[in-house]
This record gives sequence, structure tokens and C-alpha cells, in this order.
Amino acid sequence: MLDVSFEEKSVWIQLLALVGGLGTYFVFAGMMLARGELALPAYAPLFTAALIFMVLLLAFGHAVAALTRKPEPADERDRLIGWKSEARSSWLLSTGVIAGLTGLLLSVPAAWIAHILLGSMFLCEVLALSLRLKYCRRGL
Amino acid sequence: MKRRTIVKIDNRIRQCREDAGGLSQHDLADAVGVSRQTINAIETGKYAPSLETALLIAHALKRPLDQVFVCVFNKG
Repeated sequence: MLDVSFEEKSVWIQLLALVGGLGTYFVFAGMMLARGELALPAYAPLFTAALIFMVLLLAFGHAVAALTRKPEPADERDRLIGWKSEARSSWLLSTGVIAGLTGLLLSVPAAWIAHILLGSMFLCEVLALSLRLKYCRRGL
Repeated sequence: MKRRTIVKIDNRIRQCREDAGGLSQHDLADAVGVSRQTINAIETGKYAPSLETALLIAHALKRPLDQVFVCVFNKG
């Protein structure tokens, strides 16, 4: 494998697990929402399955990464990259929260509001992880 | 007196590593306590390290700090 740090490998694993797990959830949840399913408990089994899938991907990915290279603690550059990425992606979460609150004011069904909030959290995390990879490769 | 500002901070880590008997990036990273990728990022100017890390690098290379890191000031 490429000569990348354990930290960078971990970010790749998190990104793939997130997109593979929650991304798949959003595909199916989107179809359910499009069909007019507005009862939140109907989404619970799908969400639980997505979470389990994501955790398994994370565990398996990190186990393989640890076998190929000895895990090393994050250093100052890794921490700085993490802070900078989060600072530049948090606007997505804020936007989702404001959209959710606006939805509440407009009496939008709870299933939509829940997915707006979850979606903004998902996109915020995808952006943060993508920025971390960018800063790891191209520098700060 | 005119106030000078730093335009950029160059470094001579690669040269110092060679002078130190071909010390590898990995060896230097181990001595400093950072990843090899961080040493590479510093060497190539993609990352400016903290003062603590800069001092540790200079110490590991057995050089004074200003021989490893060189400030480029503006001409004003």
C-alpha cells in the first residue's frame, strides 16, 4: 500500500465506512420518504442496520490498517489538520440545524426534519474527512 | 526603525540529514516523535512546525535552530 500514515489511513476508512453505511441508508430512506413514509419508527431498522454495517466496516478497516502498519498516535500536524477541517465544515451542520428549525416552524413532518438534521451531520462529516485528506496530501 | 515581516520560513532539514550521515526521514521522525509524513511536509514547505517541534528537529540534527530553519524577511 502507499506510504501513508496510520492517521491518514484511518481517515480513508472513516470516509468509506461513513459513505458506505450512512450513504446507503440515505439512498433507501430517500426512497421511503419519496413514497410518503412519514412514521419515524419505520426508519429505525434501516438506520440500525446502517450503523451496524458502518461499525463493522470501521472495525475491519482499522484492524487491517493496524496489521499493515503499526498504529502511531496523532502528531501536531494531524491535530491541526483535524481542527482546520472541522472549522471549515461546521457550516454545513449549522445550515442543517437552521433548516430543521425552519421546518419545525413550518410544521414539516418529523421524518423530514430528522433526515435534514441527519443529512447535514452526514455531509458535514464527509466534508470534514475529505478536507483532512486534502490537507494531508497537499499540506496546510 | 522599519518593522520587518517574515515572508517565509525555509529549512535545511534534508541537507542536515545528509550531513548527519544519511539520517532517514523515518529516523528523524522517530527521534522527534512525529510521523514521517510530517517530517516530509516540513521539508517540502507544506507545513510550518510548532516551535517545540522545530527545536526537537534541531536537537535531533545536532544543529542550532537558525541553521535548520531560516527566515526570509521582506525587503522593506
